[in-house]
Amino acid sequence: MTALKLENVNKFFGSVHVLKDINLTVEEGEFVVFVGPSGCGKSTLLRVIAGLEDASSGTVTIGDDVVNTVPPAKRGIAMVFQSYALYPHLTVKDNMGLGLKQEGQPRAVVEERVSKASKMLDLEEYATRRPAELSGGQRQRVAIGRSIVRDPKLFLFDEPLSNLDAALRMNTRVEIAELHRTLSASMIYVTHDQIEAMTLADRIVVLRDGRVEQVGTPMELYNNPANRFVASFLGSPSMNFLERSVPGVPDGQTIGIRPEHLRLAQSGRISGRVTHVERLGGDTNLLVNTDQGETVTVRLFGQDPTEVGDVVRLEFAADDAFYFNEAQERIFEAAA
Amino acid sequence: MAAPSKQKTRWHIAVFLAPAVLVYTAVMIYPLFNTLRLSLYSEIDQERIWVGLQNFRTLFGDAIWSDQFWNALANNGWFFLIHMLVQNPIGIALAAILSSPRLRFSAFYRSAIFIPTILSFVIVGFAWKLILSPIWGIAPGMLDAIGLKFLYQPWLGKEEYALTTLSLVSVWQYVGIPMMLIYAALLSIPDEILEAGECDGITGMAAFWKIKLPLILPSIGIISVLTFVANFNAFDLIYAAQGALAGPDFSTDILGTFMYRTFFGFQLQLGDPHMGSAIASAMFGIILIGVCIYLFGIQRRLRNYQF
Repeated sequence: MTALKLENVNKFFGSVHVLKDINLTVEEGEFVVFVGPSGCGKSTLLRVIAGLEDASSGTVTIGDDVVNTVPPAKRGIAMVFQSYALYPHLTVKDNMGLGLKQEGQPRAVVEERVSKASKMLDLEEYATRRPAELSGGQRQRVAIGRSIVRDPKLFLFDEPLSNLDAALRMNTRVEIAELHRTLSASMIYVTHDQIEAMTLADRIVVLRDGRVEQVGTPMELYNNPANRFVASFLGSPSMNFLERSVPGVPDGQTIGIRPEHLRLAQSGRISGRVTHVERLGGDTNLLVNTDQGETVTVRLFGQDPTEVGDVVRLEFAADDAFYFNEAQERIFEAAA
Repeated sequence: MAAPSKQKTRWHIAVFLAPAVLVYTAVMIYPLFNTLRLSLYSEIDQERIWVGLQNFRTLFGDAIWSDQFWNALANNGWFFLIHMLVQNPIGIALAAILSSPRLRFSAFYRSAIFIPTILSFVIVGFAWKLILSPIWGIAPGMLDAIGLKFLYQPWLGKEEYALTTLSLVSVWQYVGIPMMLIYAALLSIPDEILEAGECDGITGMAAFWKIKLPLILPSIGIISVLTFVANFNAFDLIYAAQGALAGPDFSTDILGTFMYRTFFGFQLQLGDPHMGSAIASAMFGIILIGVCIYLFGIQRRLRNYQF
């Protein structure tokens, strides 16, 4: 069964066309991440699914029901907001229970579901605190708890980690992944952070300017990007795009090589001078200015003695190179 | 070493504070304390003499004075009650309606409702006197037009209605202030909280009662105390509509008009600055007590929310 189906969804704000013909299916139990630069429409798409915005055209189906005109609370969704959006005047327990009370659930059911969610998220000792008395990570867990108690068909996360610091972000990421495994619920997650996308997603949807650029598993997108935008968006450090530095690439074509696929070699095809070295312990990143004036990032595993100013030659395997035409689309017949 | 640098860094504080302190002292602090001082004197044979608390003994002990004082205080209490029960709830309701994003022309309504607040009390008092007049007023005619003429009473002229009528006129004039304050408080509630409520099924009236109202309680508290202070200092509307005698038969007399009559004199009553000051001091005490009850009893229990 499909958890969500979007068919030809368009959204206009006045005359601005924000979402352009979005078609997408999310299977039951799937974790789908919408990723893209800011302003690409990913949050708007999530809000259309949630029902906080109406689609200008097209249909939104959740479970078996077309929900275009159904209010958010009746869509069987639960949303976690970037700012957590907790009710400041209510305790943790009441924050989680308010939606159920509003539905008219009996008190015992509310109590039971809230305490189950609190236990799952380690919030039991904070039950009577108010949001102002909680740390960012705890607030985030309350917001997640508020969505769990509703027992939704579809979870929606709107950049839930962007207000957390780096260490907490990692932990919460793991917690969300575990939550997905425990609940085996369908989840849609919006982020602009490609690491979150790669680590959490069953499938990634890359959006740009209101259009779906590519849909696939993280490794499909990484190994087989449909165009230069997707290739550059995923992977860190991001892919090198060279027009002149590699001999034999025809005019107008660009060759893309991921930093980790480059290696130092005496007889390498690319030559240049090292302008910067980042030593991360496990990895060493080199910035190389090629003889043709382009900048290449090289990711070497382990530690490397190369110094700034060294002249190096770089080599890569033919299989690891991607070619893009002037329209920035991927072309598959390798250049001469 | 330290001493000269200290001098250098300190004197400018006094310079920058001076203008505000001087102006505030001249128009607020000095008159306040002088009024309190004046209430402890009396004039006998054209000479000012110290009488201690004698003026207050007269005010609360002498039947002629104390009847007037308690009448004015009770009227003032009713005046305040009407504002709390009518003005503030209507102000909150108007703000809630105005803050709805679907309302068209909301800027127009906002201005229209706020305009009476900036009108002079003389215009308001006089205009309402004309509107409600049984002789030239348009109120009887308008009620007649919708078949409700039997409801008409000369409201400003009857002892049992006059104070309530004037309170409602004052409500009409000042309802824009709570509306604006609450409107601003409502706008400061982040959209995401209301959207989270929408996802929880809390929309419309439920959103107002369960989310918005608890979050604007601190503003409602501020409005209540502002209303209290303004009402117990009120004078102008009653004076403009009913004169300093606050007729009919003192039924609209409030502390402000009572104090004015006593201090400056009116018609056959001679002015007595010392008794007037005693009344003014009593008003100050009443307002001080009221504000203290609010600050220490109520405001501490209200939470301010940071979004």
